[in-house]
Amino acid sequence: MTGSKVKRITYCDAIREALREEMKRDEAVYLIGEDIGRWGNLFGATKGLLQEFGPERVKDAPISEAAIAGCAVGSAVMGMRPVVEIMYIDFITIAMDQIINHACKYHQLSCGTVNVPVVFRTQGGVGMRNSSQHSQSLENWFVNVPGLIVVMPSTPYDMKGLLKSSIRNNNPVIIIEHKSLYFTKGDVPEDEYVVPIGVADIKREGTDVTIIATSWMVLHALEAAEKLAKEGISCEIVDPRTLWPLDKETLVNSVSKTRHCVVVTEAPAEGGWSSEAATVVTEKCSGDLKKPVKRICGMRTGIPYGKIEKSVVPNDEWIIAGVREVLE
Amino acid sequence: MDRDKLLGLYRQMLVLRHFDEMCLDLKMKDLIMDGFHPYSGEEAVAVGVCTNLRPDDAVISTHRPQGHSIAKGSTPRQIFCEMLGRRGGVSQGIGGPMQWIDTPNNFFCGSIVGSGITIATGIAMAMKREGKGRICVCFFGDGASNTGSFHEGLNLAAIWKLPVIYICENNQYGEAMPVREFVSVYPISKRAASYGLEGVMVDGNDVEEVLAAVEKGVTAARSGDGPVFIEAITYRTRGHYGGDPEYTYRTRDEVEWWRKKCPIARCKARLLEEGVEESVLIALEQEVVRELESDLAWALEQPFPTVEQATDHVMIPLAEGGRLK
Repeated sequence: MTGSKVKRITYCDAIREALREEMKRDEAVYLIGEDIGRWGNLFGATKGLLQEFGPERVKDAPISEAAIAGCAVGSAVMGMRPVVEIMYIDFITIAMDQIINHACKYHQLSCGTVNVPVVFRTQGGVGMRNSSQHSQSLENWFVNVPGLIVVMPSTPYDMKGLLKSSIRNNNPVIIIEHKSLYFTKGDVPEDEYVVPIGVADIKREGTDVTIIATSWMVLHALEAAEKLAKEGISCEIVDPRTLWPLDKETLVNSVSKTRHCVVVTEAPAEGGWSSEAATVVTEKCSGDLKKPVKRICGMRTGIPYGKIEKSVVPNDEWIIAGVREVLE
Repeated sequence: MDRDKLLGLYRQMLVLRHFDEMCLDLKMKDLIMDGFHPYSGEEAVAVGVCTNLRPDDAVISTHRPQGHSIAKGSTPRQIFCEMLGRRGGVSQGIGGPMQWIDTPNNFFCGSIVGSGITIATGIAMAMKREGKGRICVCFFGDGASNTGSFHEGLNLAAIWKLPVIYICENNQYGEAMPVREFVSVYPISKRAASYGLEGVMVDGNDVEEVLAAVEKGVTAARSGDGPVFIEAITYRTRGHYGGDPEYTYRTRDEVEWWRKKCPIARCKARLLEEGVEESVLIALEQEVVRELESDLAWALEQPFPTVEQATDHVMIPLAEGGRLK
């Protein structure tokens, strides 16, 4: 970690700090979304920004995801730098046309003369017992769209630094936050910093097995690694942080060293990013791998309401079982 | 109207008509490789609207963009190239007949039905903030008025009083479905009232009427009064796309009836009334055709994009190692 002094803040605070700093830095940056102003977002991520920057910079929008996303795209084309909030990733279905067909195509169709620097902030995953239409992990869809950067931070440090990079970037970015992470805490430098897009982070060094995990799953992987360490199994945890562009080099270097690999995502496995990560490793490390890559992913189901919601997505026990399997 | 001005409108409509008819021919020869969506019959709308615009105003169009684009200022050469998928087009032949962006001309595509209505809100919001009196014109068809984007976009523009002019080109059909069968209220301009806007209806085949209505709307939008909604009643005299089975969903009599209301013929009649010699009008048309033929010949000489160029500008590259500058 850079900088001499650090402070301990939540993932949610990290979002607010990043937004605030970038809004102060660049007049063109503005926020648009449902209940981001007066309410300050469901989790308080934008709390106080309306009072500080006024209604022209923090735009409370009606419940109209297509209009919000379209408005962001149109204004970005004209030189503004919108940060959109789509309250739950499940609601992004209504704005897919504006994101996929417009935000991600205008740069190419304009022969590179038009930039669409929109950041779509949204949150996914389980943790609030919100059931099947409010708890999905839809990142797999977005990884498949040319022209879109997909970011999934797991710590306050990464969240703040990646959100700042995303706002400064001239490509459209979707940044998927996790509802189970908002109140987790971590160290963040007092000084200004950014985390580069497309660079993975090794969250824990190890020698026996590489666990590639995303978002909230990084925390479960860390718990699993802690438990496995007591048995003398050393796990290296790689957090790609950016799902696309993917830092293949860091993944490959780690697996070349440990010669075993487990990929963990909350989203279902089929047709997903976990397949992409597993394939990259398989293609580039085939001589080194002692066992086929193992995937630990969410069940292919609508997330159930209430007590059993967390039972359908991976946890540390699932990961431990996966690690044992590849080390057998 | 001033005779020279009317003559100018007439000339522009001829450009659009002949461009379109030449494209139909290119489609029949398979030189246009995608579906081509003709604009013939609707010229008075594009010309009547765009004549009122400044070069720095923006237009967002539909999957039938050629008339709007040329009326806004794209050159027929560029648009022929785009139709033919050749470099030299505004999107270097990558966009094709339905979607292109002409940046210097502030022209954007919205080839997914209804989508442009939401994008226009953002363009207009940025223009309002900028405070230079620029406006955004959003063209869409009758079919778009049933999409979620229509309702979401109109509401947002209305509550934020954005400088957008909505031009609903009611050409009577959403692909093969007649408009009266797919809208719950008719005319579509009635829907504007739901968003607190006055819905103005004009004869979309009368270029002078379109021009006058839009002129009024442009003044209102530029001065900060918020969005304006104009429905132009018109007709596409060709199929939904070049070579579609149009007589399965409409009759020859109906098409003939509308052809008699041709906006170009009506403008010509007005010019003759004003005392313009027919020979002058014939010479003008011949000149337009000659120019377009030369533009097309030029376009046909242009190279196709290479496969390498297919991946140009997909993303703005990140600096080395993914690190930002």
